[in-house]
Amino acid sequence: MLRKVTVFDGGMGSEFERRGVLVPVPEDLNITDAENVRAIHKAYSMADVISTNTFGLNRIKYRGKFSIQEVAEAAIQNARSAGKRVFFDIGPTGGMMQPLGTLTFEEAYAAFEELALLTCNKVDGYIAETFSDLKELKACVLALKAHTDKPVYATMTFDKTCRTLNGTTPEIAAALLENLGVDALGVNCSLGPKELKPVVERFLAVSHVPVIVQPNRGLPQLVDGKTQYTLTVEDFMAPMCEFLKMGVSVVGGCCGTTPEFIAELAKYSGTEVEQPEPEYKTVITSSTRLVNLDGARICGERLNPTGKKKLKEALLKGDMDYLAREAISQEEAGAELLDLNVGVPGLNEPAVMERAALCVQEATDLPLQIDSSDPAAIEAGVRSYAGVPLINSVNGEGKVMDAVFPIVKKYGAVVLGLTMDGKGVPRTAEERLKIAERIIARAAEYGIPRHRVMIDTLVLTASAEQPLVKETLKALTLVRKLGVKTALGVSNVSFGLPDRPRLNRAFLAAALQAGLNMPIMNPMDGEMMGTIYAYRVLSGEDMGAEDYISRYAGASNAPTAAAPAAPKAESANASPVATLYEAVRRGRKGEARTFTEEELKIKAPMDVVNGILIPALEEVGRLYDSGTLYLPQLIAAAEAAKEAFARIQEKFERTGEGRGKVVLATVKGDVHDIGKNICKVVLESYGFEVVDLGKDVPIERVVEAALREKPLCVGLSALMTTTVPSMKATIEALRAAGCTLPVFAGGAVLNREVAREIGADFYTENALELVKSIEKELLK
Amino acid sequence: MNYSDLERSILTYLGFFSEPTAEMRALIGEILPRVKGAARFRRAEGRFTALPFFLSKEPYLNFLSGAHTVVLEAVTLGGEVDLLIRRLSKEDMLSGFVADACASALLEAYADDAEEALGTERTYRFCPGYGGSDVRDVRYILESVKAEKIGITRTESGLMLPQKSMAGIVGLGKKTQKSCGECILKEHCAYRKEGRVCFEK
Repeated sequence: MLRKVTVFDGGMGSEFERRGVLVPVPEDLNITDAENVRAIHKAYSMADVISTNTFGLNRIKYRGKFSIQEVAEAAIQNARSAGKRVFFDIGPTGGMMQPLGTLTFEEAYAAFEELALLTCNKVDGYIAETFSDLKELKACVLALKAHTDKPVYATMTFDKTCRTLNGTTPEIAAALLENLGVDALGVNCSLGPKELKPVVERFLAVSHVPVIVQPNRGLPQLVDGKTQYTLTVEDFMAPMCEFLKMGVSVVGGCCGTTPEFIAELAKYSGTEVEQPEPEYKTVITSSTRLVNLDGARICGERLNPTGKKKLKEALLKGDMDYLAREAISQEEAGAELLDLNVGVPGLNEPAVMERAALCVQEATDLPLQIDSSDPAAIEAGVRSYAGVPLINSVNGEGKVMDAVFPIVKKYGAVVLGLTMDGKGVPRTAEERLKIAERIIARAAEYGIPRHRVMIDTLVLTASAEQPLVKETLKALTLVRKLGVKTALGVSNVSFGLPDRPRLNRAFLAAALQAGLNMPIMNPMDGEMMGTIYAYRVLSGEDMGAEDYISRYAGASNAPTAAAPAAPKAESANASPVATLYEAVRRGRKGEARTFTEEELKIKAPMDVVNGILIPALEEVGRLYDSGTLYLPQLIAAAEAAKEAFARIQEKFERTGEGRGKVVLATVKGDVHDIGKNICKVVLESYGFEVVDLGKDVPIERVVEAALREKPLCVGLSALMTTTVPSMKATIEALRAAGCTLPVFAGGAVLNREVAREIGADFYTENALELVKSIEKELLK
Repeated sequence: MNYSDLERSILTYLGFFSEPTAEMRALIGEILPRVKGAARFRRAEGRFTALPFFLSKEPYLNFLSGAHTVVLEAVTLGGEVDLLIRRLSKEDMLSGFVADACASALLEAYADDAEEALGTERTYRFCPGYGGSDVRDVRYILESVKAEKIGITRTESGLMLPQKSMAGIVGLGKKTQKSCGECILKEHCAYRKEGRVCFEK
């Protein structure tokens, strides 16, 4: 496609530096030194677009002397003085977003929304630049799109590995930004232009909107507080001219570039470049992983409480760690995407979906399918999602599509359409095709292109609707001809028949052959996974059968009776253990599980606990205290004992209350939670129930939990001297709320004196001492 | 980077003071490559021939006396390592703990390797918080090397994120080795009780 070249201005901060204007808050210069700001803008007036001097102007980062409004307005006035189009410049907030940091999506959104509201009638467009976190950039673009129709350009910064600092690739950035409707996307800052070539190539290979490149003047060196750049105008221009030839149509400069550089670029303003037109693909992403729905992609079905008692219980209890572990084990089994459904009657589904989606994204970087029949829950799941999510689902009913398509459009998602409507699932493939066509057409009316729609032709059970199994497969083939990708929940087919995995596998093979792209299935079923890996060989997707060979080389050719695999030795060179006592003592989790099952065959559960587990833990504790065993071995023993307790609980409903509850938290402002987590596992190994509030826990959440859970005590952890005041404030709030529970304090910088000063009842130096002193002081 | 040095410092961070067990060796052997795989070491530095203002107090003055240049530096392994540690902790606390120690050791080792480029006439890396200095001084280092460019931010309470990040000070033109002499923890140190130190000699 032919595009006209637009030239942006160059570096602002480095121009201030060159003029000897050094201030901590350069945005304030819009007011305090408007003359210099205008002079720089004017020096760049050969460019087509001038960006405002507002990079750090947002309520999270800005610490200047004026209001955001005053600075924004002055900055726009200054930029106007160059007589060119003015784009409002927005940089990242400077805070680290969840899950790595503590900044929430809504806090970032509110900061960007404030800027949008203040400026939407005063500028010609926006450039959101130098972002590293895709989620933060999404918050910015959403906030802008919500309040203005002006052009929005968005750039991220990449390193030599072609990833942003947070791990996003050009393909992932382009997929989300394009779906969100930005008018141009690309790269700025980062490196010099020559080093950016691979990033530029990759953007051009996937983008259907104009690509922006605004490099630095090479890598800077900081000497005596001055930033030194080495590239000459010629060094800079050679790769830039190449980028124009490759199809880049928006160019400018970042750190270190000066009017001399932009004057050269401006010679190309308005000339035509030919941007490649890549094929549209159906892609679903997290912030660091992209799944292209070509071939057969495995969507794990296990984060769906239907028929799963334990998951249901975990959701009702708010045990998000359970979901995290379930997500991780599916990923390790080979899932490429994960379905997430939290529909349990009695739960506030939108609130739980929001928490669950965040928690699963923290545990795994597999892209998610947000699965709900409640549009509010869908929106809660996709709003702060970092990437292009798949939404499951709509069907052919007008009111369902009208409720869900606006969410798909707004958040740049891909949507799964079920070929059914108010009248249920049609019997014939042709009728299902008609519904698919209807869904695709209605999506288009909402501005959702065909490559962002997938179709599920719906599996009915072979036991009840035997003739319809073939219709599902036929419908797959028909729907694929519409140019959309397909999905099926394959295991439905076997419901009500014996040996379900056998039917599932046969059906899966047939469905893949009929055109299935995304089986939604149990990745823990090795035979099902094997069917997919085998299909990838037969379809030619697994070139040279490389992946298949790496998985199955050495496997026997004899038909197997699916004998259960021998339990894996914990470590190749570790000596075997012979008893449960020894397994716990040596910290062997897998063997602890096996031996617990053995013991339970001959002993009562309480005898296993009191006769073996407790004595083993006592021994470990003694050896740890005497310096014979070290912390890693204590943790390993605790994990092994925990595993044994879990086995016992699985087999026997728990009676009574156990040994009591402990509420644990790493205090507000502190994100170092490894010490708290060690305390948790050791407490659990001694039979205590731990209510783990996590890290950076707001004071009021500690108070709420203490009042609600009625624990034996509250344990607070802090690592840094700077977060000890927050521990003190938490204890004060507990007392003010009338909570008289004992408070235990711990953490690297604490000692008995500090703990007493801040109002804690007990200080314990390590996890074992915590257990011992709870036993001694509170269980007398 | 020497693997046995790296293993030794991992064991030190784990609080392992004697010969490691075979299990521990195997676990480190399994987890260290995953941490290495997740790590994207980044570094930013600034050089000063005049003393930056925040360093004109003890113990920095003593540490830097005789140096002709001060190098401020910030290093990080990036956020992916933080996520890996959390993920492993959810599956198994021991693995998470080992990953945390591997990451700390790896960050130190990468930082040491990068400092080779500063020449042999240099001090060790002094980080705010050592020797009674104020850990909040990290802020001045991060600002002056523009650490946001390599993805390091600070929370309101002054913590660096990603967690596996460091900010340090190196003097050029003199040589010093780490010692316990000025350390604030000298009397309470768990390592010293075992007759060891927290750094490699």
